[in-house]
Amino acid sequence: MSFIGKSIKRVEDKRFITGKGKYTDDIKLVGMTHAHMVRSPYAHARVTKIDTQAAKDHEGVVAVFVGSDIEGIAGVPTGWQVNFKNGDTMKEPPHPLLIRDNVRHVGDAIAVVIAETKEIARDAADLVEVEYDVLDAVSDPKEAVKEGAPQVHPDAPNNICFDWALGNPVEDVDAALASAHHVTSLDFVNNRVVPNAMEPRSAIGHYDETRDHYTLYTSTQNPHLIRLLLCAFVLGIPEHKVRIVSHDVGGGFGSKIFHYTEEALMVWVSKQIKRPVKWTSDRSEAFMTDAHGRDHVTSAQMGFDENGKIVALKADTYANLGAYLATFAPAVPTYLHGTLLQGLYTTPLINVNVTAVFTNTNSVDAYRGAGRPEATYLLERLIDLGSLEMGMDPAEVRRLNFIPAFDGVNQPGYQTQVALQYDSGDYKPVLERALQMVGYEDFRAEQAKSSSNGKLLGIGFSTYIEACGIAPSAVVGALGARAGLFESAQVRVQPTGKVSVYTGSHSHGQGHETTFVQVVADKLGIPMEDVDLVHGDSDAVAFGMGTYGSRSLAVGGSAIVKSIDKILEKGAKIAAHKLEASVDDLEYAEGKWTVKGTDKSIAFGDVSLTAYVPHDYPEGLEPGLDFSSFYDPANFTYPFGCHIAIVEVDKETGKVKLKRFIAVDDVGNVINPMIVDGQIHGGLAQGIGQALHEGTIYDESGQLINGSYMDYTMPRADDLPSFEIDRTVTPCPHNPLGVKGAGEAGCIGSTPAVVNAVIDALWKGGHQVKDIRMPLTSERVWEAMNN
Amino acid sequence: MQLNGEHVLKAPRKVVWDMLMDPDQLVKITPGISELNKIDKTNYEAISEIKIGPVKGRFTGAVELKDMIEPEQFTMVVSQNSKIGNVKANVDIHLDKVGNGQTRLTFDGKAQMSGLLARTGSRVVSGVANSLTKQFFDSFEKEIELMNS
Amino acid sequence: MMSNRITTTINGQSVTKEVEGRTTLSTFLREDMNLTGTHIGCDTSGCGACTVLLDGKAVKSCTILAAQVDGSEVKTIEGLAQNGQLHPLQAAFKEKHGLQCGFCTPGMIMLAVDFLESNPSPSEDEIRHALEGNFCRCTGYHNIVESIKHAAENMSGVPA
Repeated sequence: MSFIGKSIKRVEDKRFITGKGKYTDDIKLVGMTHAHMVRSPYAHARVTKIDTQAAKDHEGVVAVFVGSDIEGIAGVPTGWQVNFKNGDTMKEPPHPLLIRDNVRHVGDAIAVVIAETKEIARDAADLVEVEYDVLDAVSDPKEAVKEGAPQVHPDAPNNICFDWALGNPVEDVDAALASAHHVTSLDFVNNRVVPNAMEPRSAIGHYDETRDHYTLYTSTQNPHLIRLLLCAFVLGIPEHKVRIVSHDVGGGFGSKIFHYTEEALMVWVSKQIKRPVKWTSDRSEAFMTDAHGRDHVTSAQMGFDENGKIVALKADTYANLGAYLATFAPAVPTYLHGTLLQGLYTTPLINVNVTAVFTNTNSVDAYRGAGRPEATYLLERLIDLGSLEMGMDPAEVRRLNFIPAFDGVNQPGYQTQVALQYDSGDYKPVLERALQMVGYEDFRAEQAKSSSNGKLLGIGFSTYIEACGIAPSAVVGALGARAGLFESAQVRVQPTGKVSVYTGSHSHGQGHETTFVQVVADKLGIPMEDVDLVHGDSDAVAFGMGTYGSRSLAVGGSAIVKSIDKILEKGAKIAAHKLEASVDDLEYAEGKWTVKGTDKSIAFGDVSLTAYVPHDYPEGLEPGLDFSSFYDPANFTYPFGCHIAIVEVDKETGKVKLKRFIAVDDVGNVINPMIVDGQIHGGLAQGIGQALHEGTIYDESGQLINGSYMDYTMPRADDLPSFEIDRTVTPCPHNPLGVKGAGEAGCIGSTPAVVNAVIDALWKGGHQVKDIRMPLTSERVWEAMNN
Repeated sequence: MQLNGEHVLKAPRKVVWDMLMDPDQLVKITPGISELNKIDKTNYEAISEIKIGPVKGRFTGAVELKDMIEPEQFTMVVSQNSKIGNVKANVDIHLDKVGNGQTRLTFDGKAQMSGLLARTGSRVVSGVANSLTKQFFDSFEKEIELMNS
Repeated sequence: MMSNRITTTINGQSVTKEVEGRTTLSTFLREDMNLTGTHIGCDTSGCGACTVLLDGKAVKSCTILAAQVDGSEVKTIEGLAQNGQLHPLQAAFKEKHGLQCGFCTPGMIMLAVDFLESNPSPSEDEIRHALEGNFCRCTGYHNIVESIKHAAENMSGVPA
């Protein structure tokens, strides 16, 4: 029975299409209370007085807590340390669960009101009187580092968290740029976006006094990581006293990786009031407090020789980290961004400089792609713009610069100038296939004619690479990660041959209950119905690092394969005993061990039963058939692809219509093509959203002025075309499934393709515009054409 | 948010000035303001009910008039707090004679909002402000006509 | 708080309950009726995750007060399958991978039920237009559109 490579319909769908999904807010516990947070309306202010008496007196209120009630409890930590260039430790100000002194962004929590119902909690929160002494605020990272700018934290001078550089010596890069035939320079902003998982975050704390035991139900992408951070860094509770449950989670896109203050707070509150307590974010709170993504202000130069070959790249980025460091924040603009600036090209000299900055805004951390979209945007905007400036075909310039094919087996991996070594790659085919799907020649002919009808047609390219399958622990440890990034899996064969699989990966839409089961059923040669996947419960699953960085299958799936290998190895010993043959004479296929060249065989289920009823059993062999494994990847994986956008710009209004979007991605081997396609589609919509629709706006006083769905634009169905997608397959050489990861690809490649297409349209219409700030609204495009 | 505009009113500068200094007149002509209580010569308490997009609120606030040069100019400082957010506005008002006994009223200022008010619907606020301004001047003209008739 | 006594039919069952005047239909369904398939994704009627059928018409249940449904008939995602048989739209969403995290799915399906009643053989543009009040952050809408097309084909000729 072969399941790998088939578009098997999803096992988990049944509960979702019938309304039986179990998201955190759907859970009701006996005696459960409800929390509502009192949050700062100001971006920067000193809290001068908090009066909770009226709230406490309100009927139905159970308790009200403020910062001084949690004296001695540490704030939520960050999981990555990046040092200053001079070796000094990065600035790491505390992120308290409730603010006692200064609020530092709109939405900073000051008090929590606990009541019998959600409505009462909300009513009573309105009765909490907070007085503020409002201070000047700063929201732009380049403004924040200027002398005299408002200081977000007293111990981070000029609001700098750290500075960081990577690559070749800057003088070498400068020299190459100085002598280049052509240099393309671009100053741009990679706009801040709000992840907007459709399920708002939710957390339920439940303290069981009789066992001195805590349960936290939370909408997270990584329950064990939350347990580790909660126990070891925040509340100081022993891990064996804490269970984290994360059943169904309604999308994450990175925003549910991080350990949020409300999670720790609900656990703590539950112990104080000796009742369960639930907090569910409303959308307005989600806008203010779910970690945002991107927000880079960059200046970059790319030098070309007379043939169009890239000779050097230099980039200087100010990365806005917000007011507090979220869990992976320091890694995003550095090791997930600077290290990707080789792209698919043979650029011999690269230097990247990053200044990480605190501002009076919400935290910025990983959002689908995390650093890699920013790197791709930088590279792909420059190479397309360079092609326009030099009058060359952007497809041809890419062909000229591609790293030659290497499979990582017969040829070594490709060593970049920016630390990473790519595992395997064959870049031309994705471009050629995408060009073929577009009908490139015909398009250019049509484009030449288009301007006469009031519309400007444009085509934009993006040939991207990403580092996924995060991550080899030793490597990330050397780079500042405070955790290992391996994954664990347990495969428990039940006596009757049914199989329970426990993974530390977490599914919040990715379809693990199908894909992982396909892998197990395929390897064991048993029906998929005989395999069940368990995830999202730290009491059921031994350990895990969770799901992000397109790692589930590459790392979590590999851990499962390791356990299956152990199952089959032990199973073979039992089979050999039963068949009175040598292990070496057995082969395993179709769910049974067969003595080679004979019809003597024993089925998987019979071996399982024997393992648990070991009456006639190999001497010295332990009973049972149940193995755990930890898999730590040897390298990142490096998916890549080519995205092409075709847009039509209305000359009168500047309105951009995305007419077609073509994506050819190479994510290595594919277990379930239907699910991979779905991941690509979703990523594309988010990447396109950033280019055309989305952008978080903080005004000069630090107010978030588009914090609702009336104000923040996300792509709706009629903003998008149906996507045209295909793929090539270059297997990953270093993991057992040969998979590279597909979760982020769509979001990484698509954004620059769309912007490049609009720029191309404008150039072809006679407007030599270098940049338009995302999102490319009609107003901005019109202004670019008319000033 | 920037607040600015101008309008020529069919009344002499002194009349316009007096109307602007009279809380009873102001309540009648200012949209959204339901009560204006004079605390002293330059300070008022204002109660307003405004609906902006999805946000509807009753605001209690303070209005301070300062830098008064009768009958030419003054600055109005408005600060209002409510559960749905706070507003602070600083508006310079100039009155110029434009002949025929008419007066040009020019205002120029800035309003800052915070809280839910800033987050939700703030991008429709400038539209609301424009329509409120229009209502203000329409009512102002009506009051002037009433006085003249 | 003022309370109202309402009698309504929910998924075919008659229900009489006391509700606060301010309780929205979405909260009533989730908290009072334990019908948690109706999801709340926003607070400005922008996302459509809470879409249910009210007297056969798709409505955002966060914008309707529970008190308003007195005497009406409400159908939620939990009431869509009949006698263990999935509604063609439910089946189509599974068949065409029209969902990932599942959070927007009930709203999408309920909206589509109403839409296909009024337009049994829609074009892609019409489907996309119909969906514009409902957000999905996972699928890029591609396979939601495919699912609705597929359901429309399967339902054609079959009375709704």
